[in-house]
Amino acid sequence: MSATDHEQIFDKICELLVPYNPKKLAITRQSGIVTDLGVDSTAVFDLIMGLEDHYDISIPMEMVSDIKTVGELVNAVKQLISEQ
Amino acid sequence: MDIFDKFDPMKSRLETVHKLGVDPFGVKFDDIMNATRGRIGNREIVLAGTNNYLGLTFDPDCMDASIKAIKNHGTGTTGSRIANGSYEEHVDLENALANHTNMASAIVFSTGYQTNLAAIATLAGPKDFIFIDADAHACIIDGCRLSPAPTIRFRHNSPEDLDKRLTRQGKIEDGIALVVIEGLYSMFGDRAPIAEFADVCEKHGAYLYIDEAHSFGVFGPTGCGLAEEQGVLDRVDFISGTFSKSLASIGGFCLSKHIGFEITRTAMRAYMFTASPTPSNVAAARAALDKIAEKPELRTNLAERAEQLHAGLAALGYELCADPSPVIAVRRPNEIIAASEWNWLLENGVYVNLAVPPGTPQSSSLLRISLSAAHTKEDIDHILSVFKEMSENSDELNARVAEVLAAAE
Repeated sequence: MSATDHEQIFDKICELLVPYNPKKLAITRQSGIVTDLGVDSTAVFDLIMGLEDHYDISIPMEMVSDIKTVGELVNAVKQLISEQ
Repeated sequence: MDIFDKFDPMKSRLETVHKLGVDPFGVKFDDIMNATRGRIGNREIVLAGTNNYLGLTFDPDCMDASIKAIKNHGTGTTGSRIANGSYEEHVDLENALANHTNMASAIVFSTGYQTNLAAIATLAGPKDFIFIDADAHACIIDGCRLSPAPTIRFRHNSPEDLDKRLTRQGKIEDGIALVVIEGLYSMFGDRAPIAEFADVCEKHGAYLYIDEAHSFGVFGPTGCGLAEEQGVLDRVDFISGTFSKSLASIGGFCLSKHIGFEITRTAMRAYMFTASPTPSNVAAARAALDKIAEKPELRTNLAERAEQLHAGLAALGYELCADPSPVIAVRRPNEIIAASEWNWLLENGVYVNLAVPPGTPQSSSLLRISLSAAHTKEDIDHILSVFKEMSENSDELNARVAEVLAAAE
């Protein structure tokens, strides 16, 4: 997996976050999905499903519980793609 | 650092809601007179947010059975069935539930929440996978959290999406897939397409578990729920439910067509390590089960009242979240407007539920109404007249909302 792929995953997450970020807060890898961006716990799972469909992966619920920041989500998606 | 600091964001959100009037999450009734009437101060309230679907909490036979059980066997069980033994009432109700639904095994629990918590956490082991509907109730999610099995969510009410995710998972080595859905979803009141889910489960060899908490007693020719109504009860592996809705009590049950389910009595922690339901709770549910079998007219009246209210609210221009069912959810633009209207309804004698994120699908804010077979046509006319008056007073309500929001800034 190249650095470009990592960047693409980040861009995809930012794109999927748009409907949950009405205040258009700046998104960085350090942004807390719930704490900084204010995405509620139900919406986080909707975001995850969008990623699962785009990359044809399954992100188990317990893995989601451990993901706090956008950067951690990028890493989790990257890891699951590489395991395929 | 204070131990409660972490609740500050929640506290400030609640404080805004409290400024609109009564705390919607801490309503105190001064009296509950019957299945459809309560009292706060001097004001009589029409209860339209109780989940008392068959209106049996004041049924004379249910009350008599409960009183008789207390007189015969006391007020409490003082322990778990594993450590302290089963009462006649527990065994009798389990047999009656199994017979009524034609299932091989029935286990009763102390609450509905504990039922799903215990059963799901135990049925799915470390080599298994759980697939749950995206709108699953908190007790299903918590059951999954306690299970060692990975949990994967599929899109709400979409057998196609479940099929896709089961296919993506492929063959599960030395394990099984447990699919968990609900019959009637508690917030929007929408129904699961159970036959289609059964098809997908059979295609993949997955076990199907349905929580019929809001549909048992309400649907099906003999009140067994939506699986029975859709003609697929015999294709469902597990049915769970609660006593606190149609069954006029408190407690829960899980049924299985597999006799092997019995072994889990000595494995389910939320069954083994908690006190069993009291004789009076169980006896009331047992009497209510007889009513479900003997009185289909309760279901008929409930369905008619749901049609009446749904049509009336739609005619008033309210956006409703699903087809008519005993749960009718009115979608509101945001939680402040919803909370303001909820207060207005209570001040005008109608109690409904305020449902807000994250407890709702699609982050929606709802005025959730749950109907009862004990509601009359006139009760529904009254509820509709209060909603009509509320919509005619929207200027007054909006002014109140603006005032509160200005004060909060």
